[in-house]
This record gives sequence, structure tokens and C-alpha cells, in this order.
Amino acid sequence: MKSLDRRPTDWDGHVALVHDSERQRRIGVADWVRCGLDLGAKVLYIEPEDVPPERSLLGLLEEHALRVEEALADGRLEIFTASDEVYSPTWQEGVTDEALAVGYPSVRWSGEERTAWSVMSPARHTEIEWETDLLCNTRPVSIMCQYSAHLPQPTLETVCAVHGAGVRDSQLRALPTPEGLALAGSADAANDRLLRSTLVARAATAAADGGRIIVDLGELEFLDVAGARALWTGTTAHRMRGGTVRLTRPLPRVDRMLRLLGAQQAPGFEMEDAHE
Amino acid sequence: MSDSVPIVSGRYSHDLLLHDSDEELVAGTTSFVEQGLESGGHVLVHSTQARVALFKEVLGTHPRLEYGLDEDLYLSPSRTLFAYQRKLAESPRPIELWATGTVPLGDDAAGHPAWGRYESLVNEVLGPYAFHGLCSYDTQVLPERTIAAAKAGHPHMGAGDQRTASPEYKHPADFLTDPLAGVPDPPSDPPGATMTIPGVHHLRQARDLVRRTCVSSSAVARDTVDDFVAAVNEVVVNGLHHGGAPVRLALWTDPARLTCLVTDLGPGIADRLAGYRYPEPDGPKGLWVARQLCEDIFVGSLPGGGSGVLVIAE
Repeated sequence: MKSLDRRPTDWDGHVALVHDSERQRRIGVADWVRCGLDLGAKVLYIEPEDVPPERSLLGLLEEHALRVEEALADGRLEIFTASDEVYSPTWQEGVTDEALAVGYPSVRWSGEERTAWSVMSPARHTEIEWETDLLCNTRPVSIMCQYSAHLPQPTLETVCAVHGAGVRDSQLRALPTPEGLALAGSADAANDRLLRSTLVARAATAAADGGRIIVDLGELEFLDVAGARALWTGTTAHRMRGGTVRLTRPLPRVDRMLRLLGAQQAPGFEMEDAHE
Repeated sequence: MSDSVPIVSGRYSHDLLLHDSDEELVAGTTSFVEQGLESGGHVLVHSTQARVALFKEVLGTHPRLEYGLDEDLYLSPSRTLFAYQRKLAESPRPIELWATGTVPLGDDAAGHPAWGRYESLVNEVLGPYAFHGLCSYDTQVLPERTIAAAKAGHPHMGAGDQRTASPEYKHPADFLTDPLAGVPDPPSDPPGATMTIPGVHHLRQARDLVRRTCVSSSAVARDTVDDFVAAVNEVVVNGLHHGGAPVRLALWTDPARLTCLVTDLGPGIADRLAGYRYPEPDGPKGLWVARQLCEDIFVGSLPGGGSGVLVIAE
């Protein structure tokens, strides 16, 4: 199976790390920081004021044997305490531009949803997330926002909508494309809610009269019944208003699963033949 | 005969035709085919090449009469079972299907129990449809045990005015607990790999373990391994959702056979027939899909509570 974690170029943009457990969150964050430092990027992290040591970024990095004393000392890694100001897009833009001006090739930001929600309302945070997407499109900036997979479905759908560069959890990456969505990794009973939310969010931006969404399955290594059900339920509204969903480039085993479940004759679905 | 019962068109029937001569076979088959054509249904006569030639001579041709060869239609019990089910369940218009022939039991008696289970499960899988089966068994050549299983697997026996209810018929759920069904036990030797799965977030790890072990210690084709992994995944998900965590998995690999036992701690009695009926549009589909991805799946209750599901691929 191709590792999703070792392709640093894929990390660029405004992505959501959706984690099912604290353990998964820690693995994802440690990888993200390591990746950033390897790339020579400036890594910026936002934490609440009263974060307990074991939950803090430094505690997390120590657990994953990542030595960052030097990076902290020379400013390659910087940790901010959450406040209204730290979340203001203007301030973030300023800090980002400063780092780029002194020669960093790129900048990486990360923080948890609960940190933001400790200093502002979730609604205000969502507005900021939209503006953040713009920041990522205009500069070499990657922002990884950490969200719990156990949030209510509508909240998850919003999370999926505001992250222009896609959503990932420990085994699935969903990347919006001009025509629809590209999936990589595994879609199964562990992340079916996330896949569903991603599809709902992507379909909501499709033409009002439906139109066609292409779901590129080329890098999807595994799909189970729960994952396939998410492909159905995540696009129900889109197909009900006359839209179609084209499933392209499935691996043979993914193709077999879809056909056993009747995708080739399901209303609103089009299937492309499997590729080897 | 006064106690004979006719086949009712539009409903389900599954009859056993025991014969010890070609004359009996031809007479029984002819009566079944004629009634099928009269009902307006589609009729399929399948057999070996030699027998198909014989039937063609007697029955001739008809737009709704089709002849088929066993080697094309009866590849493996589960594939044949679900192929019939999908044909009937997924037809855009209701169809009535009349199928008759000799269920090919394989070259040796070792394969007979699998087809014996097939016969019994036909009642569960095709029971809701306008399906009619007439299965011929040659008493001259088949062992007694195979004939006994056939009697327990068909609700009726005989054809035409000889057709009666079969006194030895058993419901499929009961048949599966009968020694005649030959349901295998998990291998007694130590498994090649084991794993405890606390929740859905360990599914990928479980799949990786099963795939790795199968690839490294069996010679089973890659596609078969992929399908086996997907089948085990569904059974594990089922155990986590409907049974109780943690789910345990034990895997045995032979050069040509993969066996996985998935156990959970759930309460209640395991449903041996789960996943055979065609699923409701929004109903659970995991086990039904899993059954089509491998050779056989056996659901059973564990002595200490919980259920054990044996998944087999070849």
C-alpha cells in the first residue's frame, strides 16, 4: 500500500486532519511537523494557554522522539498561545509574510479546533477558515486544522467544505478536483462518516441543477460496504436533484465491490471500467 | 396417486427426482419442462454434454427453453446460488424461472457435502421468488449419504402426478446443524496468525495482517486473496457492530486454501442463515457481500457465548 504520509508535496494547502482518537491525532501532527522541518519550512503552532504538558505540542513531539530544541531556538518552530489576535487572518498573514521575507520557502500552520473554540465561537471560526483557504491559495502556505471525527455530521460537512485542499484521516485522503473529488487510501467502516461528509460538501458546490461529479478512485486501495454506502448517501441529494456521479479508474478489487453492490445500475451513477 | 401435490406457478418449488434409469429421468424432466413452458416461464435444462444431447432429442426447441452445460453454470455452490438469486432479484420485470438438471457434485464424494448444503440453501436464497427447481439424482451411482442429504434438502420429491412432500425435508437452519451438511470445524492445528481487534480503527491493521500472511504462506491467486481479505473485513465489521468488541481473528493458510475464524463476544444465538437473503435496499449488506467474495462462510455459536464465523477461500 502506498504511504500517504511520505509525500510532502501533497501536504500543501489548507487541509483538515480528521482524527478518531488522540493517538491518531498525535501521529498525524508529529508527522506533519517532521515533514515541515524536513522541507525547511517555518512551522507555527497554536495552543491554548492552559494546555497540559502531556497534550502539548512539545509533549507530543517528545513522545515521537522528535528533537526540536534547536528548531525552537532558531525560530524554525514557533508556538503561539491562542487569543483573538492569533486567529485574525490579518495577523496570520503578517507573520506568514515575515517568515517568507526572511527566506523560508514555505510556512506551515496547525492547531486544534478546540483551541480555536476556546477563544471564539465555532461560527466565527468557520468564517476564518474560509479566509484561511484564500491565504493558502495566494502564498506557499500549508495549514493543517485538526478536527475530531466524532463531531456531529453537519459540523463535519462544514469542515470538509472549508478545506480547499482536502481532508485526510489516518488512512484516507480526499482531494477536491475541478470535476469532483479524488480519493486515495482506504475507505471503510472506520471513516465512512468522513467520506460521506466530504462528498456532501463537494456536491454542494456542484451546479444547482446537478451536473456531473467525477469521483476519481484511481488511488483508492480498499473500499468496503460501509465505504461504498458513504459514496451512495454522500451523493443522494446531488443525484436526487438530477445530478450524476461518475466513478472512474477503480482498481479491480474496488470495482468488484461496487458491482456486487449494484453501482453499475444504481440511479445517478456511472461506472468506468476497472484499470489494472 | 391421491397424495400428490402439483407445482404452483408463480411461487417457489424445489423438487428432488430420484431415478435409476434414463427413462425415469426423461419422463420426470419432460413433465417439469412442459409445465414450465405452459406457465409462460423461462425453462433451463442443464446437464453434461451427453445428457443435454439426449434431452434435446426428446424435448426439442422452444423460444423459452434453454439448454446449458454444468461446467458453465455450476462452477461453485456459492457462485451458482447467488447467480440465480441476482438473476431473479435484479430482473427489471418479474420472471418465472424453471431449472432442471443434475446438480454436479464434483469428481469425488469429498465435494458432495458442499453441494448438499447448496441444495438446502436454495430454499433460503431463492424461496421468495417464482423459481422452480427439479434436481435429478441417480441412485445407481450416488452414495447413500448423498441421497439422504438430497432428501433433506428438497421440500418435495417426484415429478408430475408422482410429486409428494418430502418427509425427510429439513429447514436450512436445521440442515446446517445436521452431520449430513458436513459443516467443517475450524482447523485443530495452531493458527498461522491471530489478532484482537478492539474497534473499527484497527480494521486496516487486520486487513494488512491477513493479506500479508496469505501472500507469504499460500499459493492462492492474488484476486482470491483480495476478495478473501474483503470478506474477512466485512465479517469483522459485522462482529464489531452486531456482536461485541473485541473481535478476535485466527488465520490458517494452506497452499490452496485460506481459513479465517472470526469470533466476537456478542450475546444471543448466531443466525446461521444471515447474509443469504437478498438484502433490503437500506438493510445490512456486509455478510451478503462477504458470502459472494469467498468459497464459504459458516456462522455458528460459541460454546461459551458469542459467535464464531468461519471464512474459507480456495
